[in-house]
Amino acid sequence: MEQEQPEAAPQPVFTLDGRQIPIEPGDSILKAAWRQGIEIPHYCWHPGLSVAANCRMCLVEVRSGRVMALPVLRKDEATGEFVSATKPKLAPACQTPATPGAEVYALSPEAKGAHHAVQEMLLLNHPVDCPICDQAGECKLQDYWYDNQADLKRKLTEPVHKPKAVRFGETIVYDAERCIMCTRCIRFCTEVAKDPVLDMRERGNRNEVVLAPGRTLDHRYTLMTEHVCPVGALTSRDFRFKARVWFLKTAPSVCSGCATGCNTFADFDPRKGQLFRLRPRDNPEVNTFWMCDDGMLSYREVHEQRLLGPTQSKRDGAARIPDQRLYTEPDVVLAEAIADVIKRDASLAFVANAALSTEDNTALLRLAKALGHSRVYLAGRPAWEGDDILRNPDHNPNRAGVQAAASELEMVLVDAAELVNSATHFGGVLWLGTEHAVDVAELRQATSALWVLGTHQGELAAAADLALPVLSWAEQSGTYTNAKGTAQSFSAVIPPVAGQPSAAVLLTLVGEVLQSLDGSNATRPSGATFSGGLASGTASEAPSAAGQGEMVR
Amino acid sequence: MSASLSVGQALMTAAGKSTFILGLVFAIAPLLVWAERRQSAMIQDRVGPHRASIRLFGREWRFLGLLHPFADSLKMVWKEDFVPPGADKILHAFAPWISLAPALLGLAIIPFGPAIYFEHLGDTLMLSPEGVPCVAGLASGVLGCTAAASQLGTELQVATLDAGILVFFAAGGLGVVGAALGGYASNNKYSLLGGMRAAGQMVSYEVTLGLTLVGPLLVFGTLRPEEMVRWQSSSIFTWGFVLQPLAFVLYFVAAMAETKRVPFDVPEGESELVGGYFTEYSGMKFGMFFFAEYVEVIGLAAIAATFFFGGWQIPLLTDAGFVVGQLHLPLSHGWVTALRVGGFVVKVLALIWLQLMVRWSLPRFRYDQIMRLCWRYLLPLSLVNIVITFLVIVWLRS
Amino acid sequence: MGKPVKRPEQSRSEQAFLPEIAKGLRLTASRFFKNTFSAAEKGDIATVRYPEEQREYPERFRGVHRLTQREDGSPRCVACLCCSTACPAQCIHIEPAEYGDGDPRKGYEKFPKVFVIDELRCIFCGMCVEACPCDAIRMDTGIHMPPALERDAFLLDKEVLLRVPAADGSVKSANPRHEPGDHTYPGIDRDRSGH
Repeated sequence: MEQEQPEAAPQPVFTLDGRQIPIEPGDSILKAAWRQGIEIPHYCWHPGLSVAANCRMCLVEVRSGRVMALPVLRKDEATGEFVSATKPKLAPACQTPATPGAEVYALSPEAKGAHHAVQEMLLLNHPVDCPICDQAGECKLQDYWYDNQADLKRKLTEPVHKPKAVRFGETIVYDAERCIMCTRCIRFCTEVAKDPVLDMRERGNRNEVVLAPGRTLDHRYTLMTEHVCPVGALTSRDFRFKARVWFLKTAPSVCSGCATGCNTFADFDPRKGQLFRLRPRDNPEVNTFWMCDDGMLSYREVHEQRLLGPTQSKRDGAARIPDQRLYTEPDVVLAEAIADVIKRDASLAFVANAALSTEDNTALLRLAKALGHSRVYLAGRPAWEGDDILRNPDHNPNRAGVQAAASELEMVLVDAAELVNSATHFGGVLWLGTEHAVDVAELRQATSALWVLGTHQGELAAAADLALPVLSWAEQSGTYTNAKGTAQSFSAVIPPVAGQPSAAVLLTLVGEVLQSLDGSNATRPSGATFSGGLASGTASEAPSAAGQGEMVR
Repeated sequence: MSASLSVGQALMTAAGKSTFILGLVFAIAPLLVWAERRQSAMIQDRVGPHRASIRLFGREWRFLGLLHPFADSLKMVWKEDFVPPGADKILHAFAPWISLAPALLGLAIIPFGPAIYFEHLGDTLMLSPEGVPCVAGLASGVLGCTAAASQLGTELQVATLDAGILVFFAAGGLGVVGAALGGYASNNKYSLLGGMRAAGQMVSYEVTLGLTLVGPLLVFGTLRPEEMVRWQSSSIFTWGFVLQPLAFVLYFVAAMAETKRVPFDVPEGESELVGGYFTEYSGMKFGMFFFAEYVEVIGLAAIAATFFFGGWQIPLLTDAGFVVGQLHLPLSHGWVTALRVGGFVVKVLALIWLQLMVRWSLPRFRYDQIMRLCWRYLLPLSLVNIVITFLVIVWLRS
Repeated sequence: MGKPVKRPEQSRSEQAFLPEIAKGLRLTASRFFKNTFSAAEKGDIATVRYPEEQREYPERFRGVHRLTQREDGSPRCVACLCCSTACPAQCIHIEPAEYGDGDPRKGYEKFPKVFVIDELRCIFCGMCVEACPCDAIRMDTGIHMPPALERDAFLLDKEVLLRVPAADGSVKSANPRHEPGDHTYPGIDRDRSGH
């Protein structure tokens, strides 16, 4: 686990169903068991939230210490009479501190009976509309029903009806009938998002979660309320009815939204090769249990507005590339254009991109170096509003990674704004990625030619003389280094939507540029070193990236 | 054939008889395909072929599925003639002919009717006491010869040879070559295996087949098929299957094995060898192998009819018409001949029917069982039959 | 050491084979004569002249699918995707959608915006019918998928599936259904319960 133990003092332990469980200071029984990967059934407890102890699902039997006995009537099977007896009072594992030497039973008949009873109570008024519920398949009610109840409903009367499909905000829909009033969402908004917009009203059957008057659920972490909801009460409007979770496969990935680099699970449909959602992946070093809305919705960019083929500028007066060449050998066209600029002795600019992985940027840096450049421009998405929870003001996931790669190659990074601001007129600019923070019209003024290796359509790709599609983060492996300097690698999730890995395109590009410059097929020592260096470099860097150990938990 | 006929006439009659027998075979073979399918359907409680139809007079006619053989033939003619790569092209093309030609050749010695006198088709003929055919009439109230037949009769047999039945065996022996060649030339191990099996099986049964007929030959005392038929003319009790029942059974079994049909169809055993020696044949080349098989079936039935069922003889029908005791129903020579040829055809068809019944009743033998049956049972039994026949004949003569 | 196998014992007539062949021939010949010389319908012929004659299908024959309708003609289907989950041939494609504002079913149910079954891919196992919690998909039409020249003709969409009648001509299901908002709906809802 993530915390190193002091070696001096022996760690205190308690026993859970006969198993020794070590105790961290301040642990409850449930949390100590959770650290060991043992799940005591629970709804309202969440490791990242305060303890509410209101669902009563985690009741366990504590046999050590002073056991409180409750008088009960128990049926004597022999005589058929009810006789007075006692049973131990059960304790909620989420709230009861784990004390050294305690003897706890979560699987004893008493505890199992309590789980059964609580589960049955929670389902009394549940509509059991699993077929139309998005939570079905990952619902705690379903899981615990199988584990602890597995019994038919005994209540014959009509369940209580409550508001359904209440729109809490742009992102969240609430169904009070499915809600078990665990208050996880309320606690999340209050404690983590620091925006107490949700609360609860009424009690008993009429209990429901409501918005603060005059408010909607509109802070930046609304999708987390859906994520913490153990049942189908809160559903994401983005994911609602799009897929059933059992059709989805999950792959670990890293969010590309900002310099925090939240760890994610990317859920995708393997039959369609399509991403459906991102979920936070626990990593106490980076994002603990959470993600912001923008990060969770950033999966959309993988499928939206993608550059699907080589495109050329439609500006007046631009030289037309014949379709035949454009679609069969765009890389050769690009190489010839670059070589042409070099032959004319015009100045050439290479633009790295902080929104792309270290591997892609390293390929560009090495291309620039092979062509004799030591100054590379660094582009990226424009800054966005940060906060002190997770969001970093830097909208780019990998600024630190590009900087590290540049310093390793002894190259200088200059902000891409300099392209526009300096008085230099460029013969050509090779822009990695389509993310940019410059005025494209001004950029076109500053350069005669603009080539883009990018993922998305948009202003920059439209203005480029030649734009080649490359793979996004979801389709290839790579590494992001976040603002804290933690390098986190990720691997491909879905098959390619369009294009090739940028590193591969750049790799072939350098050879072709040098060949165009030589004008012959003579040996190209610099090119050979380049490709060799790139291949070995990426192979050795990626797997040994720091922080990977923590990433996969 | 008598020397008094000119060469031209001889050729003409030979051509006519060949045409008749070939026509008969070519008519029966497609019918056999139909019978085979229809009969198996009846045996197996199925409807059988009935889909092929022809539109005549605004109606669809299906003729109980009789059009299927024609549809099949058309299909075979139009199918791609495929020669597998690496096959011996010449031998591959030649093998079906070698298979078919001997089968047809064997039919040449089959007497399908008595000698016919074209000039006396309207007269009633009979044999004179001297054994010479003459025109019969009521002379002084008694049936007797009134005039000699004016012309030499024409045997209804393509080839009247002294060697007779030996020609049939010789031709039949050549059939092996076709199967073996087909298997060898196809460049396919299944074909080769099928060809080898066919060769082994046919060579083995050839021996038994010859020996089973030695008994009847001893009885008849001639190799000429037409003589054998006349020998059996006196009554149904002189027919071969009465005198030589064991020989008939042995011959029937051995001949079925010789035709390579179920239950002796290991050379083409579909479950092991795809299609055996004709696996790599398609179109009309396959058709010829197929056709040869049915010609062999017909030939076998014709020989059986000749040897064991009196050939064209019909009980109680003499040259002069039906004679039962004192009752005499005179028939003209033309009618008698037609009845006899018809009788022969009926016998052949009945024997074919019997073969088809056996074919659809019994499952396939294993190859070792086939060879054991041949060498350990049929061959000794046929030798025993020869010895017994010989002893009986010697005893009768002494 | 193998297990000794007891050889089947054969009587002398069985070993001689010929009597057994005669028996077999008698059997096949009896079938032959019976079937040949009796009318086709009378004999023991077990097969039929297929396109002209057709066998009557059993009551539970699984034919082309249909989507059952509600009283108002909309599909009973709530687009839960249970059928496409259960489908071993993966031939059912559903895109769910939500009822709009003002619809009494909003919040209670979703509906299939797109519902396509690929009848070519379907293996007619009936698992979709088993899986359906709403009695929305049935295979009681008794219809063979008619042949067509284009593959597209086998992709039956929602509109077609809703129109296909059951063998008895019904487009609904015999199981009653009570809609939220109907006066027959058994529940109380918040507006009518007074709190």
